[in-house]
Amino acid sequence: MKTVLINCSPKKRFCASQYFLFLQKLFTGGKKVSEKLRNQADHARILDQLKDAQTVVFCLPLYVDGVPSHVLRFMEEMETFCRQNDIHLNVYCIANNGFIEGRQNEPLMQIIENFCSRAGLIWGGGVGIGGGVMLNVTRIVFEIQIGLLVLNTVLSVIQTGVLFPKDLWIDFGENALTLLFFNLGALFYFALMGAAIRKGSYLGKKYTRILIPSFIFILFADIFFIIISLFEGGIFRGWLAKKEPAN
Amino acid sequence: MVKNEKVILYDVDRQYDDMIASKCDHALAADGKYAHCQGCFGCWTKHPAECFMKDKLQQVCRIIGQANELVIVTENLYGGYSAAVKNVLDRAIGSSTPFSTYRGKQMHHTLRYGKHDLLKVVVYGDITEAEKNTFRYLVERNAINEGHARSEVVFIEDLAELEGVL
Repeated sequence: MKTVLINCSPKKRFCASQYFLFLQKLFTGGKKVSEKLRNQADHARILDQLKDAQTVVFCLPLYVDGVPSHVLRFMEEMETFCRQNDIHLNVYCIANNGFIEGRQNEPLMQIIENFCSRAGLIWGGGVGIGGGVMLNVTRIVFEIQIGLLVLNTVLSVIQTGVLFPKDLWIDFGENALTLLFFNLGALFYFALMGAAIRKGSYLGKKYTRILIPSFIFILFADIFFIIISLFEGGIFRGWLAKKEPAN
Repeated sequence: MVKNEKVILYDVDRQYDDMIASKCDHALAADGKYAHCQGCFGCWTKHPAECFMKDKLQQVCRIIGQANELVIVTENLYGGYSAAVKNVLDRAIGSSTPFSTYRGKQMHHTLRYGKHDLLKVVVYGDITEAEKNTFRYLVERNAINEGHARSEVVFIEDLAELEGVL
């Protein structure tokens, strides 16, 4: 069984979709092919992969309550391709948005479902995730923690000769478990989607979010954008101003 | 700031340009001759209300953001906007700010240009009942997201009806 997992984020790197597909692959059996859809140049290559596949998983960010425009262009081409080649894939979807509520992905899910009806494909359902950007940040934090653990372990060996300093590993374990907890909702539904892909069954539309209270999420989101805007300079260029068109 | 402005965003053939221009203060033709959003958030964090890509959509968020009445004319695509129209909307997120707030009991971004009156969407082309329902829901969500007090979706069977509904 071949599953094509398509990362539909237009970003070159550090995108949440890449992280979610990495997790989804852990729960998906059979042959897995990862693809990246960023522009029209990717279309032919991805469509070629669909010829002998049984399942496709779209992983995409929510843009203005719907599917990003570059993905719509691919879907139009895929509809024609699947009809011409009598291809009837199972289609699943992982949608993520920057807001806290996973349910805000519902219009996107409906659009993918309607696409399946038009293209003669089998809609398998999907997972809609709120706080996708922040969940991706937990991945980055985890990677930094691993780096620090390795560094501190080396220093510990050099300074004291102890390979497993207890406090260091307990701290790492506590932090890792906290980050894991934030991701539990998404992980649970990725496991269900993996089972649905194996059976070729209907998952339904499942919505989840980063597992922290909304008011904390909003506070962190605002702080996140303040810091980024400070580094990128936007805060000094009329950050919240009602700017007029140049002409 | 110019308010009370009616803006029409459309993807129909250029033969309708003059008619559409006569019905609004600013007409935006979604002709597909521009790049899609790269998801960089630079229009929030680096050059506010401006895209880093120097094409005709570079400041489109300022035009859409100032529209008190936004009318979108689009071909149906799976119960949503055509790719050309969606491209313009994706490139216009600078009409909001990176800060968060609650509208309609859900999290959204605060509005750079304040609230608007009407969001009206005119849909043409082949469409199923399921797609109509998706479109109604999508526009309702867009209206909350972009701060429109009212929203309306009109389905037309023929473009000959277009002038009458604008």
